[in-house]
Amino acid sequence: MKHLSVVVAGTGQIRDVDIQPGTTAGDVLNQLSLSDYLLSKGANDPFFAAAESVYDKVNDGEKIFASTKAEVGFGTCA
Amino acid sequence: MRVRIISTRPVPTTIRDLLSRVVRGRGPSVAVQRREIPYWQERGWNRAGNTFTGSYQTRYSAFCGQIVEHSANSIDFYLYQPSEEIRSCSHWACFQHRGNDWYLVHMGRRPKDVSSGILAIERLITEAYES
Repeated sequence: MKHLSVVVAGTGQIRDVDIQPGTTAGDVLNQLSLSDYLLSKGANDPFFAAAESVYDKVNDGEKIFASTKAEVGFGTCA
Repeated sequence: MRVRIISTRPVPTTIRDLLSRVVRGRGPSVAVQRREIPYWQERGWNRAGNTFTGSYQTRYSAFCGQIVEHSANSIDFYLYQPSEEIRSCSHWACFQHRGNDWYLVHMGRRPKDVSSGILAIERLITEAYES
């Protein structure tokens, strides 16, 4: 079991969760009713895919971010 | 064996503190309150009305920025003097020059809040330096 503090980027609200091995980013977001959000460890790290297990990629007590989906780009650029 | 006391002197403060801590044990713990503030504020951005000023910060570089929040669904993100790394990345076409080296960053998928947009642009900058 690991403890995580999920910071909702827009408000700064912190949601504390305990996760077990195999818990995915989607599980965490669903549990917190943040369906339109993505999880990441911060701006220097990529978003977790919804089906990706976060347990092995975070440390106990770590703070991670939930931000709304945003992407730089036009239809034409990468 | 007989002992004769010649003189006495006080124990140094550091040793006295150490001994008193051993005798008393640890003091009561103090709960430190967590700050629950939006990401933009945590990253040092300032807000004046609907305009935010600050910098997009990554491990590689930081860039001055300005954000204008017209409404919850309409937020413009500007970046000042993008570096050569940004200019040569695949997203450069998404930067529109608005004069005086300020660039509007076009969002293909619009964030619902300022903080999420800052995170997206900081992630783009990181990718530009790592690609």
